[in-house]
Amino acid sequence: MTAVARYAMVIDLDRCTGCRACMMACKVENNTPEANFWMYVFRFEEGQYPNTHIWFMPRPCMHCDNPPCAKVCPVGARYKRLDGLVATDWDRCIGCRYCEVACPYGVNYFNWKKPSKNYYLDWQDEDVQKVTGGAVPPYRNPDLDQPYGVERRRTAGGGRLMGVIEKCTFCVHRVERGQQPACVQNCPLFALHFGDLDDPNSTVSQLLRRKPSFRLLEELGTEPRVYYVGGHPPSTESRQIEEVKARV
Amino acid sequence: MAEQQGTLPYGIGRFSARLFTLIAGLLLLVAWGLFAYSRQLLEGLVVTGLRDIGTMGGAAWGLYITFDVYFVGVSFAGITVAALIRLFHLDHLRPVSRMAEALTITALILAAFSVMADLGQPLRGFVNLFRYARPQSPFFGTFTLVIAGYLFASLVYLYLDGRRDAALLARRPSRLQGFYRLWAAGYRDTPAERARHDRVTLWLALAIVPLLVTAHSTLGFVFGIQSGRPGWYSTLQAPGFVVMAGVSGIGLLLIIAAIMRAILPEGERVHRGIFRWLGTLLLLLIVAYLYFMVAELLTTMYAGSRHETEISRSLLAGEFAWLFWGSVAGLVLGALVLSLRFLPASFQARIPTISPRWGMVLGIGALILIGLRALQGLDLFSPFSVTTARWLAWLAVALALIAFLLLLPFLTRNVVAAGVAAGILVNFAAIGKRVLLVVPSQTQGMLLPYGPGWYKPTWVEISIIVGLFALGILLYVLFFKIFPVMEVHPTEEGAE
Amino acid sequence: MRTVLTISMIVVGFALQITSYFFLAAPWNPLYSNPRVPFAPALFILGVMLVFLAAVVYELLPEKQVQ
Repeated sequence: MTAVARYAMVIDLDRCTGCRACMMACKVENNTPEANFWMYVFRFEEGQYPNTHIWFMPRPCMHCDNPPCAKVCPVGARYKRLDGLVATDWDRCIGCRYCEVACPYGVNYFNWKKPSKNYYLDWQDEDVQKVTGGAVPPYRNPDLDQPYGVERRRTAGGGRLMGVIEKCTFCVHRVERGQQPACVQNCPLFALHFGDLDDPNSTVSQLLRRKPSFRLLEELGTEPRVYYVGGHPPSTESRQIEEVKARV
Repeated sequence: MAEQQGTLPYGIGRFSARLFTLIAGLLLLVAWGLFAYSRQLLEGLVVTGLRDIGTMGGAAWGLYITFDVYFVGVSFAGITVAALIRLFHLDHLRPVSRMAEALTITALILAAFSVMADLGQPLRGFVNLFRYARPQSPFFGTFTLVIAGYLFASLVYLYLDGRRDAALLARRPSRLQGFYRLWAAGYRDTPAERARHDRVTLWLALAIVPLLVTAHSTLGFVFGIQSGRPGWYSTLQAPGFVVMAGVSGIGLLLIIAAIMRAILPEGERVHRGIFRWLGTLLLLLIVAYLYFMVAELLTTMYAGSRHETEISRSLLAGEFAWLFWGSVAGLVLGALVLSLRFLPASFQARIPTISPRWGMVLGIGALILIGLRALQGLDLFSPFSVTTARWLAWLAVALALIAFLLLLPFLTRNVVAAGVAAGILVNFAAIGKRVLLVVPSQTQGMLLPYGPGWYKPTWVEISIIVGLFALGILLYVLFFKIFPVMEVHPTEEGAE
Repeated sequence: MRTVLTISMIVVGFALQITSYFFLAAPWNPLYSNPRVPFAPALFILGVMLVFLAAVVYELLPEKQVQ
């Protein structure tokens, strides 16, 4: 059996300043629709003024080793790859949203609208067309339409098909080319790291050896592949600074 | 009698003006539901009130899944009654046997449509489920055992059970004679064939019962195995589903039986003993379900995780309190109504006779007010201020309670009316409980600190659900216009 | 004859169900999302239907005529 990588992400909470560049990078790279935050950064506040403490927690998909979403998918559109990525085949998804309700982390996003209306601008809207002159700016990333993985399944990118579920893919289209996910690549503070846990020299392995780490909701037994170092899990004290209720 | 030659029993083949009006009204509602569905197909599920869990603060499963669970629950009644009749020789229940079977089949069809309405890619869903369905997913059981297996088994049961009546009716000339001959498939009413038929239906009923329990339990497991959803993750889901299925199914069967008793010329055959027996069964099931509810609430309120306690709190005293206590009231009052007939006769004689007219008028008034309040709450028709709306709701509650008290004497003395009242109450409670099952765990039960969300169904969802109910009633009515609703006795064939 | 056919339908039906569920459909582990045999769930449903059609067969087929 060929050695397949064991991908994981390590997030350094000591470094994250909540700038949310990762959220923007993910959006641009994966063409995610309006109000879909495959990568999301919590902005927490703890304590009472004047003794408050503010901290930030990026939350991508956890790509769990025991993924509740993949277990409940009725048609196997959500599945776990050998390299650890939990992928969604948008060719097979029937839009039942079972994975969405099964996920404890809330990382799934459904395409509620049809693609032409799914983005921040409706390209067919008259007022918009006065500005664009009918042209649709080239926002779509052409890599997203290719099939990926050994099984050649369409698992990259979002927003192109109404009525299917999507989520963070660890930028499968980039990882398969040996690149880092967009969020990791764009973080200005090197707070996000991605790599192969089986490689003892990778950044992720080194970080996990050096610093104590935790994973979110470990008691559920989902075995997430996203580790956090240099901070603590959200407690009962943690409350969001502003509640993001970006609904479509 | 010459004119008796052409007439079939139980109003088969006879369409009155009243019936045409009913069918027209139902078709209109079905058409409206189809229109709403077309909007959903064109624009996407954004036309519903459903939204993503988490950062969007919505609920991904709402009214469609609620009513899918409800319809599968209602389907419990049919085969249970049939099995009870066969296994325990409860021949006095035979008049409602076919009504119950037809109810099961109709309910399962509606459940299948409910799920289809929920899918983002329904056509793909239809093909991909047959092609790729994974046994590890609880939906596999729902799809194969419930919708395919259970539905098919009930159809087989209905077919075999109806052969004798089809054969008897095929003896006389009528427009449906060919249809009856096809159904009867050469049935001859000899003692040997009857004995064989009894044996087969007994074994069939026996075989369907484990299928029924598996089917309802699988649906319970769809929710119960999700460790990431506090409020759903419970060992009681599967058993609770089976019991609640019985409550809603038997309740609806009581209503149907009373309607048949009222409108059929042969209605007396649906005798009071049936209502007494089914009423007692329903009472026991309600008590069992209330016990499950109390056990679950006590556990989560006493020592649940922070999230479970939050959900229970929202049920008992928070955003969902109105629905929770309304459903509890429906169950408790339903149980009360069913136990009225056990009051000692001397006590019953002392209750003053109040005409049910007053209670019904007030009750209808209360329903109108509740309907107005609901329309306001759903943002479909909001002419009132918030304070007025709240007063309306409390006035409706008061009217409903007074109506209930005024109806109590009538319900004590009339076991059929008691059955209908209980059926209506527990079915509303069942729908309420299903909503409470599906929604709060998504909007209040997030394990990561996203903050609470909300869910408000839109006209699309409501129209589709109403359309489904109308479709069910339409199919039910039309079926019993071509096939007898009760067994045909040899004396009813005509001149002999 | 009729009994033989009925019982064989029931046995085949259950066998089809068990085979489809455990051996033909997708393996339990989420690493495998494809059924081993395409349309295995349809075969499962066919198995369920066979079992119940056996009842129809038993009732509908005539007795062996003693000529």
